[in-house]
Amino acid sequence: MTQETLSADVVIAGAGICGGLMALDLTRAGLSVIVLDAGPRYDRDQVVQNWRYMPPENKAGFDYATPYPTVPWAPHTNFFPDNGYLHTTGPDAAAYKQGIIKGVGGTTWHWAASSWRYLPSDMQLYSTYGVGRDFAMTYDELEPYYYAAETEMGVMGPNDQQITPSAPRSKPWPMTSMPYGYGDRRFTELVAPLGYDNTPVPQGRNSRPYDGRPQCCGNNNCMPICPIGAMYHGVYSIEKAEALGAKVIENAVVYRIDTDAKNDVTAMHFYNPDKISTKVTARRFVIAANGIETPKLLLVAANDKNPNGIANSSDQVGRNMMDHPGISMSFVAAEPIWSGQGSVQMSSITNFRDGEWRGERSAIQIGYNNTAQTSKGGMKALATGKVGRALDEEIRRRAACGVDIYVNHETLADPNNRLTLSSKRKDALGIPEPDVYYDVGDYVRRAAVSSREHLKTIAQALGGTEIEMSSTFTPNNHICGGTIMGTDPRDSVVDSWCRTHDHQNLFLATGGAMSAVGTVNATLTMAALSLRAADAIKSDLRAG
Amino acid sequence: MLSKTISLFALCAGAMLGPWGAAGHAEQLSGAYIATTADCAACHTDGKNGTPFAGGYAITSPMGSIIASNITPSKEFGIGDYSLRDFSRAVREGVRKDGAHLYPAMPYPAYSKMSDADIAALYDYFMNDVAPVDVAAPQTDLPFPFSVRMSMAGWNLLYGGGAPLVDDPAQSPEWNRGRYLVEGPAHCGTCHTPRNLLMGSKTSAFLAGGAVGPWFAPNLTPGAGGLSDWSDADLSAYLSTGVAEHARASGPMAEAVEFSLQHLNDSDIAAIVTYLRTVPAQDTAQADTASMPDIAAFVPADHSANRSRHTLADDASGAQLYETVCASCHGLSGQGSADGTYPALTGNVTLEPAQSYNLISTILDGVSRTVDGHETLMPAFHEGSLVQPLSDDQVATVASYVSTKFGTEPADITAQEVATVRTGGPVALLVKMAAPGVMAAIGAALVLILAGLAVMLWRRKRSR
Repeated sequence: MTQETLSADVVIAGAGICGGLMALDLTRAGLSVIVLDAGPRYDRDQVVQNWRYMPPENKAGFDYATPYPTVPWAPHTNFFPDNGYLHTTGPDAAAYKQGIIKGVGGTTWHWAASSWRYLPSDMQLYSTYGVGRDFAMTYDELEPYYYAAETEMGVMGPNDQQITPSAPRSKPWPMTSMPYGYGDRRFTELVAPLGYDNTPVPQGRNSRPYDGRPQCCGNNNCMPICPIGAMYHGVYSIEKAEALGAKVIENAVVYRIDTDAKNDVTAMHFYNPDKISTKVTARRFVIAANGIETPKLLLVAANDKNPNGIANSSDQVGRNMMDHPGISMSFVAAEPIWSGQGSVQMSSITNFRDGEWRGERSAIQIGYNNTAQTSKGGMKALATGKVGRALDEEIRRRAACGVDIYVNHETLADPNNRLTLSSKRKDALGIPEPDVYYDVGDYVRRAAVSSREHLKTIAQALGGTEIEMSSTFTPNNHICGGTIMGTDPRDSVVDSWCRTHDHQNLFLATGGAMSAVGTVNATLTMAALSLRAADAIKSDLRAG
Repeated sequence: MLSKTISLFALCAGAMLGPWGAAGHAEQLSGAYIATTADCAACHTDGKNGTPFAGGYAITSPMGSIIASNITPSKEFGIGDYSLRDFSRAVREGVRKDGAHLYPAMPYPAYSKMSDADIAALYDYFMNDVAPVDVAAPQTDLPFPFSVRMSMAGWNLLYGGGAPLVDDPAQSPEWNRGRYLVEGPAHCGTCHTPRNLLMGSKTSAFLAGGAVGPWFAPNLTPGAGGLSDWSDADLSAYLSTGVAEHARASGPMAEAVEFSLQHLNDSDIAAIVTYLRTVPAQDTAQADTASMPDIAAFVPADHSANRSRHTLADDASGAQLYETVCASCHGLSGQGSADGTYPALTGNVTLEPAQSYNLISTILDGVSRTVDGHETLMPAFHEGSLVQPLSDDQVATVASYVSTKFGTEPADITAQEVATVRTGGPVALLVKMAAPGVMAAIGAALVLILAGLAVMLWRRKRSR
């Protein structure tokens, strides 16, 4: 059953940060834009309330999904308990249990807002170290788009410090970093004598009023929700685009993509929650549904001319799934560290972002997690069986002295790490749910040996007791690779402009396009790639 | 020739000065400083990023937008061909060089009290120190009948102000300086003095508090409901930084602090305070501070049954809204932050009943105030807010809640009041009278006179 047909210059599937930045840029350029998102809209105030009244077990376990209730027509992952939406297999199955949110604004509703640029060598990994793959462009080609993304998002960074290694900049960060809270400051002091440079993380978070939003006042609640709007979410760009005339349709689940004789995309079709279908035509199409939903949609939308999936003549759609597999450690320090002052991710150790060893093993990022220890420490204190004043003291001790440290590892593109459609599980609309096979690979495993040594050294420096280290790799939700970029249409899905090799008018604005993942969070790079794709679309449509 | 005229005039003006001069100060202050005391930039510079004095700022009114003019010395587009006499006539009498009347969005009734010497210094500043901008500000284009500027002539006879102030020898120089600033260039009464039916300032109720579109300018007199509870130190701090223990400057007052008052000398701030202490007391509604709630007794509401939804229900309680929208900065008990960066709501003057419009406006439009290079921002919660748009019902609910919980007495702010503030504040009787049918009955000329005046009550609304 089909309803009306909608039409615009550009239609974008996915109203997260990538779709939002593109929608805003294209709307400002005078183009008509329709943005479709599978999920609902969220209101900050309700999400704040959902979080406040969540059970302590969920808070202590860092449950960031429950405040964003999933809907049957657009399920997203929830692991408290696992709702089974994303099924993973392989040696490191547990390391690909990724947190995602479907809905207008996307997963940047909850993130730590770490907004790193990649190093030039991260983007030329194969050329530099002979492993992995290269981006189809150089750092210099992406640099202006990095800055444009930082400006639109409002990124603060250490303008007043020289940090090595770091990505070259043509202009300073739009805002300068806020000072560390006590925890980051003390951690930095304690590890410095061991040669660890703990430096400020660039963050999409306001250190002064920016874009009509207030400066951060340190609620330490970036995940699952910034309660005051000091942190950037994709929803801002979506709403700004909407105010300029973009049409945003929530609860619109794209499931079918039409192509013509030239293999140009002619239409997308979406279901509403009642499975009523609507057709949308456009001159340019964008899928901006990040690393899991983008390849999933391309596979779901296979048609007669593209039987293995849209944009999939290379058979690379869904392959090369990457992340930054982590090892996490927690302990009780010998002195109060007072985690929780400021935002949740203010600093990290960046000495190991780059080096000659990358030909053989991963580069790594070591981070001090500044999330307040109250919930976690409180639950642990309760488990001791203490009561009364002794319990109070135990809660205080653990809240003050509890420390979480992690190591994130660079992974290499491996076609065997693959997203496929489940033959069994389907959502309420009958759309197959995703399966992922995941093996972090020997490159990571070799690095992990020394990572564990680093963690032990750090725990020792802080006089840590009750040291707990994850025995398996943990997911970090930095979903990359599934629609990989390259110059050769035979082994890649998109070109350097995120344009699909198979369909000249279809773009994939997603971390899936990234060919290598460095050591740092992928969001700013995804954002920059998306703005570059928007330039290609503007150029296309100006030309004809 | 021009410079000769200036110097002659300045000489004459100088000769008139006594020990503190006609303007209450011993030495002639610079024109730039005088322009700051008169807050010319507030309207004639188009916002924080506007070109200085190039005009273009749209002051919205129910009759249409009044565009502030280019007052740079551009000969073609500004006031470059104004003589001192032309300039004085425009600033103090509201008449342009070409004879056309200004709309009283320009506070010339107050400026009429400025000294000849200050006007001359101001003229000198605009002519010689302000860069000419050869760009036309958009023309004000009000629809008929408001387009007939001549209608202001009659009103000016009644309310157009008077002569430059003459010092009162019985009072101290500081008092005289304070009076000069308050009544003259700083034009406090333009907002803080209520208006009569004809929209003229009610001189019998000087500084007793007045409506300014969606905002309320409170009572500044020593009477009940005025400044009697304010210490000199608090008042000085408020004027020069926008921050006092129980108050923060927001809306048009934040602009006055940002563009004008923070730049005034300490002695001028002290003079203003001195003079305000002596204006005739006017009693208005007074808050009962004895009934201030006990912060420690505050118990958050329990609504654990309402968890896990996408959007707050339409009937969300005030407690829910406060906890989810406000408490992350102002604190669960309205206590603010210890250092006052986030003001306490308990004891905050904005929760007093007389200021309900200020409370609503603050929630809708937020606060933006840059003092000493540091920007303070409370986000807006209007329909275009990126942080959290709130409906009329929600604003009414949360405003009533914070007033009742943290203020002095129970409040029942209605959605209708919020809707009124959201659309720019209550419509004055005079503007209603400008409706075609009514107008025919009472005569176009009278209405024109009156309606033109109403403009000054619609201070520019923050752009949304």
